[in-house]
Amino acid sequence: MADWEEVKRLAADFQKVQLSSTTQKLSERNCIEIVSWLIDRNMVELIFTSDGKEYLTPSQLVNEIKGELYDQGGRINLVELAKNIGVDLAHINTHLNEVLKGQKDIQHVLGQLIDNSYISRITSEINEKLQQQGQISIGDLTIQYDLPAEFLQQIVDKNIGKTIFGKQDKNDSRVYYTESFIARTKSKIRGALAGLTRPTTVASILNQVDVNEKMFFSLFDQTCMYGTLTSRLPGAQYVPNVYARSQNEWVSSFYKQNGYLEFDALNRLGITDYKQYIKKQLVNEEIYYLNSCIISKSIVERVQADVDECIASKSYSDLQSNLPSVFNEKDIEIILTAALTNQQRQQVLVIDSYVISKAFVEKLADICDELVKENAKAAVESGKYQEYQISLQSSHLKSQKSEEAEEKLDKREERRKKAASGKSGGGAQGRETKTKSTKKFGRGGSKNVTEADDDGDLPGKKTILEIVSADEVREAILPLLEEEALSDVLEPLTAQLLPKLNEKGLETAQNIYVVTVADRTANRRQTHNELQNKLNALIGDVRLFEKGTKLLPQDVQPHLVKYLLKSLCTDIVNEILNYVAAEQNLNTKAETLNNEQKLKFVNELPSDFKTPLLQLVKSVSGQNIEEFMTAVEEALAPCSMILKKIDKKKDRAIVLNHKHQLLEQLNKCEDVALALHLATLAIFTTATQCMLHASGRHVSAILAFLKQYLTEEQATELTSYHDFVTLMLSGGSEVENAKEKLKEKLALIKRIANDFKRAGSEK
Amino acid sequence: MVDEGTRQTLSKIPLLKTKAGPREKELWVQRLKEEYQSLIKYVQNNKEADNDWFRLESNKEGTKWFGKCWYIHDLLKYEFDVEFDIPVTYPTTAPEIALPELDGKTAKMYRGGKICLSDHFKPLWARNVPKFGISHAMALGLGPWLAVEIPDLISKGVISYKEKTG
Repeated sequence: MADWEEVKRLAADFQKVQLSSTTQKLSERNCIEIVSWLIDRNMVELIFTSDGKEYLTPSQLVNEIKGELYDQGGRINLVELAKNIGVDLAHINTHLNEVLKGQKDIQHVLGQLIDNSYISRITSEINEKLQQQGQISIGDLTIQYDLPAEFLQQIVDKNIGKTIFGKQDKNDSRVYYTESFIARTKSKIRGALAGLTRPTTVASILNQVDVNEKMFFSLFDQTCMYGTLTSRLPGAQYVPNVYARSQNEWVSSFYKQNGYLEFDALNRLGITDYKQYIKKQLVNEEIYYLNSCIISKSIVERVQADVDECIASKSYSDLQSNLPSVFNEKDIEIILTAALTNQQRQQVLVIDSYVISKAFVEKLADICDELVKENAKAAVESGKYQEYQISLQSSHLKSQKSEEAEEKLDKREERRKKAASGKSGGGAQGRETKTKSTKKFGRGGSKNVTEADDDGDLPGKKTILEIVSADEVREAILPLLEEEALSDVLEPLTAQLLPKLNEKGLETAQNIYVVTVADRTANRRQTHNELQNKLNALIGDVRLFEKGTKLLPQDVQPHLVKYLLKSLCTDIVNEILNYVAAEQNLNTKAETLNNEQKLKFVNELPSDFKTPLLQLVKSVSGQNIEEFMTAVEEALAPCSMILKKIDKKKDRAIVLNHKHQLLEQLNKCEDVALALHLATLAIFTTATQCMLHASGRHVSAILAFLKQYLTEEQATELTSYHDFVTLMLSGGSEVENAKEKLKEKLALIKRIANDFKRAGSEK
Repeated sequence: MVDEGTRQTLSKIPLLKTKAGPREKELWVQRLKEEYQSLIKYVQNNKEADNDWFRLESNKEGTKWFGKCWYIHDLLKYEFDVEFDIPVTYPTTAPEIALPELDGKTAKMYRGGKICLSDHFKPLWARNVPKFGISHAMALGLGPWLAVEIPDLISKGVISYKEKTG
């Protein structure tokens, strides 16, 4: 029963345990209550940790802060501190003063606690770095240590000479150097500067030697006696003395040798303020400033000599080739203004860089003389000159009448001019603009050109007849110019010559015109007479033809009259109109006009011509010969022509003559149809002693009329021949056959016509 | 489930090993020993935690248990008699702890003053047979019951403070 014993023992133990006194332990809850009660009563001062489970006394906190600071190597952030100790940052902040109060070696910097051990550590670090790099700036340190610049500055200042061995930069208190660094830099700079022979920007020097800019400028004065700096700015240039010296030497020797000095060259040498430089460098020289260079007096003298020679030799001189090639046009212009005396100026013409003596220009003008004369003559002959005269007069009239019209004319003129100048082609344009540019500067020599140009624009003088064109002048003078290698100035020279030549041409034209006008009047009188005779003959013919027509049957007459009016009468009208046109100085050919155009033309004539001529032109399209005859008579009156009286003897002669002509033609004639026509007319003339003007169409009618005069045999022959002719002309299947027959009968017909003459004469 | 405090308390009570009821002679002794050891440990724990809240003793066989339990409310100690028998089917069936004084005073009680245990108790017990013993029944059953019911009964005025007699 040991087990039960044991149970009993255990029960006893249990009772003992239950009876043993309870340990008087405060539960956590109670403790919190008690403590909060105590704090409430201000009986104890405690700080809660941030998790609220622990309390600290303030002095413990101070101790903990110090401990942490030590732990962290003398520098700790307050936030980190709060985290490490486990209290609220606010508590740290309130108790910070207590920490700092007693301790002079702890400082509060930018939310961090730093003690002297840390400071001494970083000073030695800084020193080490300084010794390594030779140079250190507070800026770099602030980045490295993440501390405020002032604080670091203070530390470094305090320790310089003690633990930090270096020197403060005089210009920048934030930078420190070691002596050796300065010495090293100085020798670097000295080396670089000594090595330079040409001006170099400071920036590139710095790049090369790896020295910072401030350093360079502060050390420059101590190091360098080899050159100068243009300024103290980063963009400055270093100019070595050796360079300046050689520059000066080059400039003076170049000037001495060549007598001029280009600004461009100076620029290339790096002298930007060349005017100042030249003043300094060439003090005792007499120099002329040009656009792109300066020149010595000797060059000006040379130019003068050239010009003199050019005048003396009556030729030209090309300054561009005589002077150094560097001079541009403006320069030459300036030289010329400086060099030419007034007297010389009058004797030469300056075009671009060419100085051309007036005598030479004269020579060119002479070459063109022949051309001018020819052209003037041509102008007068072609009537252009007259037109010009008229337009000149009319423009004077117009200019009085209205300004607008003038402007219009002006514009038209300009347009014409433009068109004319356009002919010269694109290549010439450049040259032309050049002459214009010279115009701007009002150079003496080119004044004439300018004036000539302006003339065209002045009102009243605008219609200048171009006797010679620019192209012609160019062509004329080109050979000589090419010979002289002056083709460059062809255009300006042409422009120079043209107005003069034109003037001369106009004069010549005037002379020629006066002469020709005298000739013309004589001529006209003669032609007037001739025309009068011719018209008389024609009108006589018409009269005789009409008489012949009257013999024919009534029904045929109108056709023949119409034909007569269409042919001969129209010729007469044309003659008269031509004459009138010539009288009125109008260039019209009446033959080319149809009836309506004629009427229109007549309507435009002065009134003393208008009415009778109108009548005449109308009568041609009428039906009546008499009407026409009266109209002709009236029309001839204002033309100062007279119709001769009818002379019967003369008429007979004319008729006889006409008949002979017809027979002659007939005998020569090989054309079968024409032969019949001629034969018919001839027979008619012989039979009636009257002339007849008829076309082939009327042949059959005339034949019918002639039957009474013919023998039967003759009549049948002619009729059958006529039938074959119609057959042939109708173009039927028997054309060939008819032709054959006609050819056979041709001789017969001819014989009949000739024979009839005999028979007629027997009667 | 049980609250955090109870769970912690529970974890400190040694578990039992022998599964035996009062009818099994040899093994019951063994079981009873383990019960005592467990109870001793529990009481010790309570005392150390200044949380002693009952006195228990048993008959010689360890089948009947009786004693006192108390609850401190508003700095006043309310004390009640406690008794229970070990069922024959123990430890499969949990002991039915009774507070005879409070019989009829609260709805959370069976006739004879047996306390109504929480819904969780039975399954928890069943899962832990035979590891749970009397100390567990006290900690899991009576302890929480007192903590819930006593303040309620006091506020209802069903029980009132009696000047300490013992």
